[in-house]
Amino acid sequence: MSNDFVNLLERLVKNGVEFVIVGGFAGVVHGCTYVTQDIDICCDFSPANLLLLQKAISDLNPVHRMTPNRKKLKLSDETCEQFKNLYLDTENGQLDCLSFIDGLGDYSRVKQESELVEVEDMKIHVLRLDALIKSKRALNRPRDKAAILQLESINRLRMKASGEQDED
Amino acid sequence: MRGFFVLLSLVRTFIIMSMAERSNQNFKHRNRSRRADPLQVAADYGIDVSMLADNLKRSVAERIRRHQLALNTVEKLRKAKRP
Repeated sequence: MSNDFVNLLERLVKNGVEFVIVGGFAGVVHGCTYVTQDIDICCDFSPANLLLLQKAISDLNPVHRMTPNRKKLKLSDETCEQFKNLYLDTENGQLDCLSFIDGLGDYSRVKQESELVEVEDMKIHVLRLDALIKSKRALNRPRDKAAILQLESINRLRMKASGEQDED
Repeated sequence: MRGFFVLLSLVRTFIIMSMAERSNQNFKHRNRSRRADPLQVAADYGIDVSMLADNLKRSVAERIRRHQLALNTVEKLRKAKRP
């Protein structure tokens, strides 16, 4: 089994899943040089959208990564409502689906803070750099320190490249 | 006795002035830290800023492809290390 995040994203896009890339992988999209082991997405946790997500990855043997027996993903209209987050493992890599992002809010708010990025003929919503920094700061986790420093550096490099003046 | 009180007063004034000076220095230091260049802060932390600059010249697809290669290499090394 090897990771194929592009294929994972293609499946979500082709099946019409409503989502925004957040977390470490959003940082990679913006230019961070670290390696992250999963894709974090913030998505609409309506049963309709979660069922679309399930359909998109059904042949990748998705399981709940955090459960003791790695239970298979089996969502229905009724069971969808019990989840706020889904921590999945698939044959193409780990996929974490979040309904809420610290410092930003729920899916609709996160989508407002996103930008459309084109990757291999796909258009994907990715959390904007400033919002990503805000969400990482809100988490206040020691392990995010290096990521925040990279993101802030990217912000400064972009400002320099576009000739903008510093805000302070 | 009067000389003692004058001396005491001078010492007190000196202490207050020293504290004010130190407070002023702390404020200046905090202000400097807040305005510190993020690139310098990152470099001081050990981040290779030139790699970030190089990565920004790449397309998003290329960044993701390189990340994928790195991740799969890490996975292979991790598996190889298992007993």
